[in-house]
Amino acid sequence: MSESTEKGISRRDLLKLAGVAGVAVQAGGLVAAGIRAGRSSESYTGWESFNPGTQFFDRRPFEFEGPAHRPVSEVRRPSHLTDYVFGRVAAFQQAYRAHPAWKPGEPLEALGMSAQLAQFYRDFPERLEWDFKTFTETVPNNSRDKEKYGNYYVLAEAYEAGFSAHAGFLRGPSAPPEESDFPGPDPFGRKTRPPLPFRTPALAADFVKEMAHRYGATLAAVTKTNPDWLYSEGWRGCPPDYDFSRMPAHWEYAVVIGVPMEWDVVLSNPQFGTSNDAYDRVSTAAIRLEGMLKFLGYPARSHTPLTNYDLIVPPHAVEAGLGEIGRTGFCITPEAGGNCRMAVVTTNLPMAVDKPIDYGVARFCNKCKLCAESCPSGSISMADSPDGMVIRGYEHWYINNGSCYNFWRETMGPMGCRLCVAACPYSRKDNWIHDLAREIDPRDPTGAVSSGLLSIQKHAFEYPEAAEYHRPPGGRFASFRPEPPYLRAEKYLNIPINKPGK
Amino acid sequence: MFFNGGFFWFLMGILSVVVVAAFRAFARDRGWRIAWWKGLFGIAAYFVFAMSFYAWGTLIGEGEGGAGFRILVLGIVISLALGAGFWKLITAKPAD
Ligand code: SF4
Ligand code: SF4
Repeated sequence: MSESTEKGISRRDLLKLAGVAGVAVQAGGLVAAGIRAGRSSESYTGWESFNPGTQFFDRRPFEFEGPAHRPVSEVRRPSHLTDYVFGRVAAFQQAYRAHPAWKPGEPLEALGMSAQLAQFYRDFPERLEWDFKTFTETVPNNSRDKEKYGNYYVLAEAYEAGFSAHAGFLRGPSAPPEESDFPGPDPFGRKTRPPLPFRTPALAADFVKEMAHRYGATLAAVTKTNPDWLYSEGWRGCPPDYDFSRMPAHWEYAVVIGVPMEWDVVLSNPQFGTSNDAYDRVSTAAIRLEGMLKFLGYPARSHTPLTNYDLIVPPHAVEAGLGEIGRTGFCITPEAGGNCRMAVVTTNLPMAVDKPIDYGVARFCNKCKLCAESCPSGSISMADSPDGMVIRGYEHWYINNGSCYNFWRETMGPMGCRLCVAACPYSRKDNWIHDLAREIDPRDPTGAVSSGLLSIQKHAFEYPEAAEYHRPPGGRFASFRPEPPYLRAEKYLNIPINKPGK
Repeated sequence: MFFNGGFFWFLMGILSVVVVAAFRAFARDRGWRIAWWKGLFGIAAYFVFAMSFYAWGTLIGEGEGGAGFRILVLGIVISLALGAGFWKLITAKPAD
């Protein structure tokens, strides 16, 4: 039976037509809603708000009893002189300047460098080659490239300069921990007080993490400081004869905080990105946290990218449950992936510590390798697992920081590369697509979801060839993704611009 | 804003009801009887189809339009496969 309308179409037919129209309208509406979700400022984790909501991943189902790191051989503490690439290359360059006739292959003693550095280069000869190349070849080439193409990247450098200008206002400790970490008169002359006791360590941890978020930290967690991960020398404010062999008792707890680099800028690495946006924010948050703890009467010392560190952060971040070590050797967090710059505040305020988590990064990295395939300098291992990769007594992924730093000095725009951060599928914003992956993959014991996601990542998303990131003629100074519009010099500036590849 | 507000999703819900009702009318006209589990199959096919468009839009918004389009095509292929299975189920003659 059909009931006709005045125009002769039955209600039933009208319903069917409405259904077809509904499909079209729904598809169009969902595309529009998707575009809105993809662009939404709310998806810019860590750049959308300063509150605990930025740490949105529920870690509890993935916690395990630590420690996450166990030594597999004799432990060696990290050294500013050898492990810290800036210090190492600077020391090598200084020695070379004093002996410019020296050539690779000749005895290192002829350079007059410290025995410790010479031994390091004997242990890691490939680092010697890379470090030498950096200051004899790469840096001079880069100066010439910047003469030619620098204007194209000048707004990216300007963006970076604004953040690094703030570094001058952030002061690190100028006296040994026994002195500088303890509360003293603050800039407003407020008196010091004995430590105010908290009701419970759990409440103390909650309060400190809440404050950390309010001060600008996107992620915050607490662990115990591990003496194995303190630098073996050169703590800030300490004379050379300071006893670096024992950890100050008041460094018992480590509050680890993290902030992502701006999301659109980070994707335009290695030519347009900077670390300094996140460095500035995470350093500022840590110094605020230090000030707050001192106000409550507790000793505190911040270890930050802009005021330097007396310890290494990634293993502390892992023990605190902020994430897992990935193939790149840094901590991959659920919220921000590898796009997370970190700082630590050491203190003796008794706090409940967080547990490490296993949310599947180790298994994913074993099959992924996207960062290693993208890395222009081949610094990231292509091995199928980190088994046998032992650094300073602990087994985990690590990179060749000599070849990595060499490429930093080849790029245009602000110094550095960070391509492995941009290329990593975990370093993605907070919208429904990535949240779905974040929530489902760690709960899949079969690994099928991660294999499917990885396949989509590799086949649907664009990954330039590693060589394209290099300088011409071999490369074209590629970026992982185009720079954001607000960093386009040709849009804003009335200056001659020579774009590479044109 | 309209596209992330509750009213938008309410409208999407209404449209879903209309689409389901229209399909039921279409099926009845052909004398098909759709058991609930067969209906779920059809809903799954339509859900994948619709979500593929949402994913496409989201990736366009993120600046990954190329990847979004490939995922859209993949989603449509999956929903067509599911839809073909659904079609076969509802048009199959009952066993003697
Ligand atoms: S920063 Fe660049 S060069 Fe260094 S490991 Fe990552 S991708 Fe490679
Ligand atoms: S790109 Fe892949 S292999 Fe590299 S750190 Fe990220 S998940 Fe691991």
